[in-house]
Amino acid sequence: MDKRRWIRWVGPAALAAGLGLAAASAARAEGPGRFLKLDNGLRVFFYEKRDIPLVHVVAGFDVGSKDETDGTNGLVHFLEHALLFRSGSARTGAEMRRHGAYFNGHTGQDLSMFEISLPSSEAAFALEALKDLLFGLELRQEEIDREKEIIREELNQMEDDPERRSVDLVLQALFPGHPYGRSVYGRAEVVAAATAEDLRLFHRKFFVADNCAMAVVGDFETAGMERLVRDVFGPLAGTGYSPPRLPPAGPLKKGSSAQLERDVIGGYLTIGFAAPDYNSTDLCAMNVLVEALGRGINPLLGGYLRGQRDSVQYVTMSYLAFRYGGAALVSIKADPRDLPFVERAAQAFLKRAGSLSYSKKDFADPEAEMAAFDYLEMARNQIRFAAARVDESGLQLAGGLVRHMLLNTRDSPGTYLERIGRVDSTDLRRAAGRYFGRSDAVAVSIVPLPEVKK
Amino acid sequence: MSRASKGRGSIFRAAAWLLAACLSPGPAGADASGPWRNAPETFELANGVRCIYQQDAASPTTAVGLVIGGGRAAVPAGLDGLAAVSTRLLLEIPDERKVQDLMAQATRLSFLCLEDCSVVLVECLTENLEAALKVAAKIILDPLVSGLRVDRARELMLANGRAEEDDAVKAGRQAAFRAFFGPGGYGTSLYGTKSSLESLDRKTVLSFIHRYLVRSNVFFCVQSDLGRDAVRGRLESAFKSFPGGDAAGLPLQDPALPPDRGIVLERDAKQTYIGRAFALPRTCLGDMAKGILLETLLGQGPGSRLWPLRSEERLAYGVDAELTWMRSGGVLIARLETGRDKGARAAEALDRTLAGLREAGLADEEFEAAKAVTRVCFLRDTEAKTPRLRRLALFGALGLGPEAAADLLEAVRTTTREEFQAFVRQALDPAKALRISVGPARAAGPQE
Repeated sequence: MDKRRWIRWVGPAALAAGLGLAAASAARAEGPGRFLKLDNGLRVFFYEKRDIPLVHVVAGFDVGSKDETDGTNGLVHFLEHALLFRSGSARTGAEMRRHGAYFNGHTGQDLSMFEISLPSSEAAFALEALKDLLFGLELRQEEIDREKEIIREELNQMEDDPERRSVDLVLQALFPGHPYGRSVYGRAEVVAAATAEDLRLFHRKFFVADNCAMAVVGDFETAGMERLVRDVFGPLAGTGYSPPRLPPAGPLKKGSSAQLERDVIGGYLTIGFAAPDYNSTDLCAMNVLVEALGRGINPLLGGYLRGQRDSVQYVTMSYLAFRYGGAALVSIKADPRDLPFVERAAQAFLKRAGSLSYSKKDFADPEAEMAAFDYLEMARNQIRFAAARVDESGLQLAGGLVRHMLLNTRDSPGTYLERIGRVDSTDLRRAAGRYFGRSDAVAVSIVPLPEVKK
Repeated sequence: MSRASKGRGSIFRAAAWLLAACLSPGPAGADASGPWRNAPETFELANGVRCIYQQDAASPTTAVGLVIGGGRAAVPAGLDGLAAVSTRLLLEIPDERKVQDLMAQATRLSFLCLEDCSVVLVECLTENLEAALKVAAKIILDPLVSGLRVDRARELMLANGRAEEDDAVKAGRQAAFRAFFGPGGYGTSLYGTKSSLESLDRKTVLSFIHRYLVRSNVFFCVQSDLGRDAVRGRLESAFKSFPGGDAAGLPLQDPALPPDRGIVLERDAKQTYIGRAFALPRTCLGDMAKGILLETLLGQGPGSRLWPLRSEERLAYGVDAELTWMRSGGVLIARLETGRDKGARAAEALDRTLAGLREAGLADEEFEAAKAVTRVCFLRDTEAKTPRLRRLALFGALGLGPEAAADLLEAVRTTTREEFQAFVRQALDPAKALRISVGPARAAGPQE
């Protein structure tokens, strides 16, 4: 691929899913960025951001829960723990702290991401440490066994959190039979039975230079940083690995609704819809649609639901664009007694979203046009704002760049914001009809225990 | 509980006086621009309101905070949620057309209610700043406080309060503040309770607003890619005047140790939150630096003192330390969330870890590492505009100037290990700790 052209459009679109929300996109048509592909296949993007003396490095691998089976569900997440936090790690926490380093990891459906940020004077250490942590795994069974209990606590913590729990369940139910239908956190029994050899197999296969993309963002001079990257990562061997292709996640045959009782006092509802994948031509329309319906000061769905029930105080929508599918999520907090009604009302409203007016231009009558509110303009501006905000945070920027390098398979014309600017009201109605107009939404609500159980 | 300092005048002036008395001479050699490319600076608007401004060209956006002295500290006992309800009502826009203009421009209006101040926050694309400020000024200076809107704000707070109570970490923190500070001020629930919210009527809210929303008790905090003069011009054009008057000074609210230092919030959950809360000495820059160092040393990630409770003892996934600074001092909470059958063991391990640091101190290497991490965490946490605005607003509310960030990092750098260890011995006195558990009954073992 032509390097210059790639740089021109990667910045904006890269950030499209930088926050896990496809709408949180960005930004510069042309920036001080540089793309590099090493001989071993490692892809690297450099982006100078020199307002504070830090450097942020994010390395991502094309491996996530999508690459597991029922019998290995949880191993990628386990590997994230093992790489970063095992007691016998090549880089101890104390050593990382001596260099002022913050580091962390995230496992998702498609990707595993690892991040480090530290003073820019420590950039060489950051790269060496990442290489050792991510490519130099030497595992002992006792280290694995120790980590199991910690992962069990993480699963417990997630189960106690009504919002995370409901989102996790909705995502599982949205993709039955597809690899995305497995929880990113994994199955407790798989984690309990995991061996060092299981993890080594995963690591050997997926944690290779050809399956990795890295973004370096921060206070550095690109030429010098490129030399460092070549010195540190250049010697890694290429394996010729290329990720397998998975089938696209198909639409659900039937919707579902589940209610869980927990010791909470609020009511928590998540509704999920199948949505376009990262490379779909519907991506931009869905980004704009989600903003118009569910984000900002008074979006369409939020305004409607608050008008129906006073107890509805929090309504937001998000859009997760994966490689082989996507999910549009509605999150609502309300009085638990109102949740069944709110669930029906939200679904009914979204079913009608394919016939709503989003733009002033939808009105033929000049007076109606004058009086109408332009949700399309609002949504576009919200995306511009979110994109600008991503530019402020080096880690978010680096994460977005890595996601794009690993997920994007399409060469789209123009910048991301230019494509957003071309979305019109008809596109929104078409996307709404396609993704919200069916009867296959998945809803999970979490409500208080009945008094008798307390 | 002692109620010191009954001086009149603005809360910020009182805090500034307090800090002037407490501060040692400024650290020599502090970089004037601080950790950022452009240093924050202060100027006074034509309406007499102070403005802390910092230019940041990282994005074409602007964040403006109107910081109002008071916050939870100003809430009387029994009126929990008053500051949050009052600040929320400053955002009511009566003119539907104006709402639509803001929506179309993707301008965000929100509020924060902190311990010593409330912040009305306007975030927008800079090209829309003028319009955003015009609307903000109109609604803030002439707030629409009808009975109906008060009812609506109470509903909102009730819902927020439910979510807060369902979060063990937030519930534990609230319980600690209540225990240290009693039923008023810092001890009040941020969003109120069902009964306290029922006590809030239009008259109470208006009285609160009129008392605290006065020139001498507010300041602006701005992060923008626009230059100083342009920002000043837009603020002065929108906020042509500001209500005068002297906000009645709030007494400093010192923490007091309750007779029963064990707090148990029972709930049926898979995990139990175990926390130890400590009141830290009255705020001055040197102590703030030591407090932040202690927070980092204890709880910020791998290599911290609490980390072995996860990595070695396998008691928890999440271990952390959280420090809140107020005018009257700080509250540090060290915590972990553990399995329901491990509560007693986790509590013992947490106490042992804290005692180990207090009694045996630390080596130079660990201390220097904590300094390095503290600096990086500060920079990363304040990299984006709104989090940086929040930090500068907090400094301002504590009576610190725009140079506080640079001074604080310099104070972190120059703190000696001996000074720090003396601070830790005082701060982590187990006889002054609150012991908090949130989770299944008796999971945390005996509290005394």
